[in-house]
Amino acid sequence: MNGLLQDFRYAVRQLRKSPGFAAVAIITLALGIGANTAIFSLLDQALLRSLPVKDVDRLVILNYSGSNTGRLQSRADGHFYFSYPMYRDLHDRNSVFSGMIATDFTQVGVQWHNQPDLVGAELVSGNYFDVLGLQPAAGRLFVTADDVVADANPVVVLSFSYWQRRFGSDPGILNQSVLVNGHPFTVVGVAPPGFHSVVMGDTPDVFVPMMMKAEVIPGSMDLEDRRSSWLNIVGKLKPGLSREQAEAGVGPLWSAIRSDELKEIKGGSENFRDRFVNKSQLFVLDGARGFSPLRSDVQMPLLIVMGMVGLVALMACANVGSLLLVRGAGRIREMSVRYALGAKQKRVIQQLLVEGLLLGLAGGLFGMLLAPRVSSVLITMIWGGGTGDLPFSAKPDLRIMLFNCGLALLASLLFSLAPALQFWRPDLAPALKQQGMTARSGPLRFRRISVAVQIGLSLVLLVGAGLFVRTLHNLRSVNAGFATDHLLTFGVDPRMAGYEPDRTFALYQRMFETLRGLPGVRAVAATNDPELANDNETGNVTISGYADKPDENMQVEQPNVSVDYFSTMQMPLLAGRVFTDQDSAGSQKVAIVNESFARHYFGDPQQALGHFVANGGGKGVKPDIVIVGVVKDAKHVSLREPVTRTVFFPYLQSPELHAMTFYVRTWQQPESAESTIRRAMQTLDANLVLDTFRTMDEQIDNNLTAERVIALLASGFGVLAALMAAVGLYGVLAYSTTQRTSEIGIRMALGATRGSVVRMVMFEVLWLAGISIAIALPVSLLLMSAVRSQLYGISSSDPLTLGLTIVVVTLVAIASAMLPARRASRVEPMKALRYE
Amino acid sequence: MIQLKNIERTYKSGAGQTWVLRRVNLEIQPGEFITVMGPSGAGKSSLLNVLAFLDDQWTGEYWFREQAAYTMKRKERAELAKKNIGMVFQSYHLLDDLTVMENIDLPLSYKDIPRSERQSLVADTLDRFRIVAKKDLYPSQLSGGQQQLVGVARGVIHKPALLLADEPTGNLHSEQAKEIMELFRELNQQGTTIVQVTHSEANAAYGTRTIQMRDGWVVGDTANPNLSPANLTATEPRDAAVNR
Repeated sequence: MNGLLQDFRYAVRQLRKSPGFAAVAIITLALGIGANTAIFSLLDQALLRSLPVKDVDRLVILNYSGSNTGRLQSRADGHFYFSYPMYRDLHDRNSVFSGMIATDFTQVGVQWHNQPDLVGAELVSGNYFDVLGLQPAAGRLFVTADDVVADANPVVVLSFSYWQRRFGSDPGILNQSVLVNGHPFTVVGVAPPGFHSVVMGDTPDVFVPMMMKAEVIPGSMDLEDRRSSWLNIVGKLKPGLSREQAEAGVGPLWSAIRSDELKEIKGGSENFRDRFVNKSQLFVLDGARGFSPLRSDVQMPLLIVMGMVGLVALMACANVGSLLLVRGAGRIREMSVRYALGAKQKRVIQQLLVEGLLLGLAGGLFGMLLAPRVSSVLITMIWGGGTGDLPFSAKPDLRIMLFNCGLALLASLLFSLAPALQFWRPDLAPALKQQGMTARSGPLRFRRISVAVQIGLSLVLLVGAGLFVRTLHNLRSVNAGFATDHLLTFGVDPRMAGYEPDRTFALYQRMFETLRGLPGVRAVAATNDPELANDNETGNVTISGYADKPDENMQVEQPNVSVDYFSTMQMPLLAGRVFTDQDSAGSQKVAIVNESFARHYFGDPQQALGHFVANGGGKGVKPDIVIVGVVKDAKHVSLREPVTRTVFFPYLQSPELHAMTFYVRTWQQPESAESTIRRAMQTLDANLVLDTFRTMDEQIDNNLTAERVIALLASGFGVLAALMAAVGLYGVLAYSTTQRTSEIGIRMALGATRGSVVRMVMFEVLWLAGISIAIALPVSLLLMSAVRSQLYGISSSDPLTLGLTIVVVTLVAIASAMLPARRASRVEPMKALRYE
Repeated sequence: MIQLKNIERTYKSGAGQTWVLRRVNLEIQPGEFITVMGPSGAGKSSLLNVLAFLDDQWTGEYWFREQAAYTMKRKERAELAKKNIGMVFQSYHLLDDLTVMENIDLPLSYKDIPRSERQSLVADTLDRFRIVAKKDLYPSQLSGGQQQLVGVARGVIHKPALLLADEPTGNLHSEQAKEIMELFRELNQQGTTIVQVTHSEANAAYGTRTIQMRDGWVVGDTANPNLSPANLTATEPRDAAVNR
């Protein structure tokens, strides 16, 4: 014990004696551990962690195969969405689930003390909290009786964080009334802390019974509509039942429900009817981690980032390992003296292990301090624009931190052992002189391999960085099809301020007039289907004179837009005319289609004019909307997605309008118009809740969040990797040139010039870099082809990126070799020869 | 061939200076075989380093073949050395990773000599030193004597006018030492001027002139019987011009 303490004291002294070495090793480890912990924490929360609910391993998600019809409101694969009657059938008639809940997410306006607030709301079945086994933090949670009769029970449960944020954790809010979309709702309780939603990634602030859907989503009268799919179903298996057994057990019920539903569907091909019942199957999927559209969004980016950070951590280990080795090699004499003075192998090895342990501990400690900051920066980068609670926490999970620290300790212990092996059976006589004609081949070989690995890994990371940065650049360079500058956007849903549909049009007219009158405003437009918002509003279309092929996808984008939409957005008109004020409710229904639509169905923009279309499909639909114009294609869902066929309708002819997104084209910087607009809208109606204000550039940034994060992190990790490789390479060259001092001296005594010595060192570097690049290049190509789906406008084997990366890596190698080469060329042959 | 006038060399040690060569005046004629002797620390190797232009921190005048080497730049001296001087070391200083042939080729590789000419010179030298059979072996596969043979071959391959040998037989047993010394004599008879540092009287006997050194001073020279240590130690060294 005494010996261990002495070793510890000596290790501290050793590290203080070489602050440069200690700092590089600790920073390298800290970066490796910190970044790894941070990213893995996010990955764990997004992809791996179970919901904080009771009997989580019995939770399942329902999904199905087979064809579908009707209205589908979905954020993910449509087959996860069910109608309410379908949920009720499954809930009431199954024999395999001990509980089954329904859920949907939306946004509502909540007013408390005349302060409106736009918040996330989860519509849930009455048994939601009961099935999840949750207990209230205050008051009570919903019971089945809260969700039996439509519009009968206006009660609301607050999320724990909303209760804290908005009501200061005041229990006095219980049994008080708040306005939800203008309707009074009684706060009955507060959900437990730590629980967000059964849908991973959703962070609702309020929970509302499903039977109150009409109040929460005004105008939605589809609770009893079998053709309207909008909710997700999570079941809880009966104890002892497997998912496979449940799937088999619920199969006949599913077929029966589908058969019943088919009777209500008019038309449809034989093929469709066959797919609707016979080829349809209900799947019971693992639900312990919750249903999550977010997961599918972030899965690939997070896995890519995790892969990169894993490579960086590997480099950190290799780097520290080679640093310890070079230090070990420089201490051969010290260790030999210890042996010569009677130290046992065990003691010498223990000394080295204690030093490694100390480094690992210090690196781990700093890494743990770094991790929450890295997480926090990442979360802000990804969800910075959002409001309310964030789905992820920057606080790292203790298990992950301990695991990573353990890993760092293990790595540093292992790398302490590597130099220790040099001293296993020391050759004391030459070691005491600490000399050698050339370098000891063992450690040098290891260091060369370690540096080659680092150069290779940095090449892989830099190739990734190059491809992702160019992807982002390509996406930013995509022509959106409309002018994105000087454009401010915000959303508004009059229903949240208690507006009935009949007053909505008048409100919008007043909003247009007010906005147009504001100083600095050039033009104003609105749509119910915002541009580049990762959102779409599609539906079937019937076209007069066009015979659709069997099973042809007739889904097109169907936005309702204001009169000045195309001029405000600066979408060029290719044929016909744009909408006018005369295109109103009583006049001939008109539509404008985009170029893709016109070319697909009519072959040419001019040909499309005068044809009739109708919303929806089927035999009973009669096209009565005339196409009056064709506009140039514009990107809609995102810059990455291809242009979709689109039919624009004038909002004045829409039977019903709810939420709209406004676009204000300004003369000055669009940000500066925000406060003026807010004030003007406040004057118009103080209860209006305006959704997030953004410039179109910010909207595009938001649209490209995943690409931005990956490009930024990839560049950061690439630079870090190049730096680490440079440090490693410098270390190995400094070491090998020191070891070769005598050799260099002899060469110079025999006529070698300084230039030839520099060339000799550079040759070693280029050889090492060349071998590393030759091995790493195919590995890069392989890895990059795996993330091809994340690239845009660039091949995973883009020669320019690969060429530039090779040049960068070679330059880094040459730069890191400059100092050792210069030092080697300054060797005084006389001094070098005197070492003998 | 060589004229040294008042050559002095010091090293900084702590607060003061250590003198390793003091007012060395020496004239070396072409074809001489000079032996430098003296106890450890006498300045023998330092003198050899000065002669080889490996050291350039000395003061005084160094004339090499009528050329004022002491006024030359470092690069010019290195060029002079490359053309005219060969070196043989006590520890042979063969490069471990090079074969016998490659080691011998090393001095030529630093000159602008065409590859074919170099190959022919190396082949001649291997033949002359009767080590053709060993040309592909590495130094670790040779005996000490064989290694020094290669060291000498490397030292003379470019036909230097002056061969400097620092304890060339220091690591060899007497039979091997004798062979090397016979070789030196042969080279000297063929016209190479040789300066060797040795502790061995037997080796010194191969030379034509012996210089004795002590504490940096030249205290004896068989070519200059009037040189007496008593005449040298009384005075302090004068200021000397610093060489470029």
